Amino acid sequence: MAGLGTVFRNLSRTPDEIRAENLRAWQGTLTDVKPIASLKSRERAKVAGVIQNIRIDPRGGTSIEATIIDGTGHMVAKWLGRDRMLGIGLGMGLIMEGVCGGGSQGELVILNPEYSLVSNPEHG
Amino acid sequence: MNRATAVFKRIVVGRPMSHGELQHTLLPKRIALPVFASDALSSMSYATQEVLLVLALAGTAALSMVVPISLAVSALLAIVIVSYRQIVKAYPGGGGAYAVALENLGMYPGLVVAGALLIDYVLTVAVSITAGADAVVSAFPEMLEHKLGLTIGLIGLVTLANLRGSKESGRLFAVPTYGFVLSMYLLIGTGIVRCLGGCPQAESAHLELESVSLLAPLLLLRAFAAGTTALTGVEAIAEGVPVFRYPQSKNAATTLTVLGCLSISMFIGLSWLTDKTNVVYIEHLEGQRTVVAQVANAVFGGGPMFFVVQVMTALILVLAANTAYTGFPVLASILAKDRFMPGQFKNRGDRLVYSNGIVILAALAALLVYAFKANLTNLIQLYLVGVFLSFTLAQFGTVLRWRTVRTPGWERSAIINGIGAAVTGIVLIVVVVTKFGRGAWGVIVAIPILIFLMRGIHTHYAEVSEELASPARKPAERRRGHQHMVIYVRQLDAATARAIGVVRSMRPADISAITPDPATGAAWRRLAPEVPLTVLSGRGNVRKRVRDHLLERRQHLGADDFLTLVVPELLGSRHLLEVFRRPGLTRLKASLLTTPGIQLLNVPMVRDEIDPSVDEAVEPARNHVLVLVSGVHNATLQAIEYAESLTATDIRAVSFGLDTAETEELGNLWLDARIPHPLEIEASPFRDIGLSLRDYIRQFEADGVNRMVTVVMPEFVVTKKRHQILHGQTALIVKRHVLFERGVSAVSIPYHLKAG
Repeated sequence: MAGLGTVFRNLSRTPDEIRAENLRAWQGTLTDVKPIASLKSRERAKVAGVIQNIRIDPRGGTSIEATIIDGTGHMVAKWLGRDRMLGIGLGMGLIMEGVCGGGSQGELVILNPEYSLVSNPEHG
Repeated sequence: MNRATAVFKRIVVGRPMSHGELQHTLLPKRIALPVFASDALSSMSYATQEVLLVLALAGTAALSMVVPISLAVSALLAIVIVSYRQIVKAYPGGGGAYAVALENLGMYPGLVVAGALLIDYVLTVAVSITAGADAVVSAFPEMLEHKLGLTIGLIGLVTLANLRGSKESGRLFAVPTYGFVLSMYLLIGTGIVRCLGGCPQAESAHLELESVSLLAPLLLLRAFAAGTTALTGVEAIAEGVPVFRYPQSKNAATTLTVLGCLSISMFIGLSWLTDKTNVVYIEHLEGQRTVVAQVANAVFGGGPMFFVVQVMTALILVLAANTAYTGFPVLASILAKDRFMPGQFKNRGDRLVYSNGIVILAALAALLVYAFKANLTNLIQLYLVGVFLSFTLAQFGTVLRWRTVRTPGWERSAIINGIGAAVTGIVLIVVVVTKFGRGAWGVIVAIPILIFLMRGIHTHYAEVSEELASPARKPAERRRGHQHMVIYVRQLDAATARAIGVVRSMRPADISAITPDPATGAAWRRLAPEVPLTVLSGRGNVRKRVRDHLLERRQHLGADDFLTLVVPELLGSRHLLEVFRRPGLTRLKASLLTTPGIQLLNVPMVRDEIDPSVDEAVEPARNHVLVLVSGVHNATLQAIEYAESLTATDIRAVSFGLDTAETEELGNLWLDARIPHPLEIEASPFRDIGLSLRDYIRQFEADGVNRMVTVVMPEFVVTKKRHQILHGQTALIVKRHVLFERGVSAVSIPYHLKAG
């Protein structure tokens, strides 16, 4: 029987908090993955998160951006000159590696990262 | 949603779950058995009783036929279980009878099954809950006069449990299901032991019945048909394969076998005890207790075990209804995906269950119970036609499937399914013949009506998607149209002034204004001297005059040009009801939405935003235009053309989604269509587009004075009003959230569908 305190804590947890917990559990199963909150610009790193936002910009050379969240923060993967989605969809798990740069709104960006995709990352 | 309702909903329905948590609701076998088998198991509590009712017509002596008839029904059950094990294997992805029939036999057989199953799900709820109420009344006779209320109250309770989601209800339902099985075995076991020293006699054993009918073969057939109610629920497991844990087919097949063994042993055991204790059960006798109650009372001699049996029986019957709550919404959502039902049934609610289907199922079942005054025997007459129809077509379809796939050992499986199909086909005929006059005709009439409706919906959706994809509008070939804006001036307030600023910043080809009120003229010339104001005089109400004026203007414009009516709206507060405060304006907007060639630009402003030191008519420096996108089709292209006709800081398309495959597909379509604007796909994990859009808009920090956001929304307008229900009310929900945001204007771009 869960204590009353636990019951209240569970009731008061927001869906976002629960989500972050699920994501951290998934990252625990991967090697060498760093939390986004700990990253600095120009650092080479491997991160893993869920795709939360996709931006397709056909102006100039077509670019596709995917914003991932990992429970500690968010960052962007950006592919230049790419005109197919190739598996990029909302909710997809993205594990990527590359050198972090700064984006226009202060967020971290990895340009053309090495990456792999995992479906349904939030339940292993 | 305000905070209080959010907390209320959290406590009653539970916290919202994000899409990623869906997988967690997969069921292990020990939970799946109660969830899917409770229907089949629970029918043991009334199957014997229904057989007895028919046999009673041939007098007391005929009652002993209950055992041979139960054996025959059990044999049938065994055949169906063995056959369904093959179906589950043939369709590891979930072989609902509908999917099987549609794939192998074609659209109409598929729709026959769909119609039959939808009706039977409703009946499962009605029959099970009514029988559950009977069990309660048998234990507590003083409840008899409240039976109808009790039945409908129980339906409400189960509905709530189901709106919370399947895993928790699965757990909730495990204990009573196993409790029922145990209590039945205890009853049968104790009965056997007590019979060793002479069987105890039931309270009704002394009743002598006159024979009103010969024990003719037809009566035996009727009794058999009544007993086949024991088979209901077997198909639920096949429908539910996708909800099982992996390996899904194997787990589902094992669950079927377990179900078969439990059902057969309980059915034969109960029928044997019924015979030995000489229970008599007849129609139209007020206050007689159910057969199970009489047997339990005789065997246990009343006492606590009698009440345990009654409570467990009532509980499992309530849970049996749950099978339908799992099956009906899933089937409805599959039908919606196949475009045989309105798209709303695809929506999972806050708790990741198909809320719309659940609510409709509950309402229909309650209606049926009310109409039949909670009389079990009359309700049961409607039952079974659908069950056997779908049994037969599903098995027959699977035979054809085996012939095409030809996996190793397919001949054996095909023969098993073939035998099953033939046997259930014969039983179907028996059921129809014996029950037709007693109510089954209603179901036989209803199925074609449902098929007709579903086919109509399908045709409509097919025509719409064809129309929307028509290559007549290719973005590369289109000419940029001119924008003509007409400001509707009801009074000169801050919102009207802001509308002037907004319109000026968009730099349309021309701006004009109309007013029903001649008194506004002088003030208008001070506010916007460059904009000509026309006073709408003449006959008819204001709505008609506005419409006539716009139609007259429209005649002189090119086909690619846009004519926008700008509607300033000063809102008293941020309360939702504010939207309904000006019924005249609402009616005007509605009538213009259905007028081809006219767009509506809403410029709302809440009273507390008014700042007397600001000249609202000055145009804002920045205007971000967002086009809401749900797919790449003509309605979207038209909205983008519209956005391009406005002078804006930037134009972008925004889509809110959650399905991985759908969003990937949308991205590829966007790239293929070579639309020269960025598309942002935002996660809406809690499935509330309105709230997601509101959060998205807030990042621009629009104040309406220097910076503003214009939301462009394509809206479908159908020729026939009844078709509107087939095209979600997303635009309405979105507008509700956008209207009260500071500095946000919203444009409706009606797309007039010719289809239908």
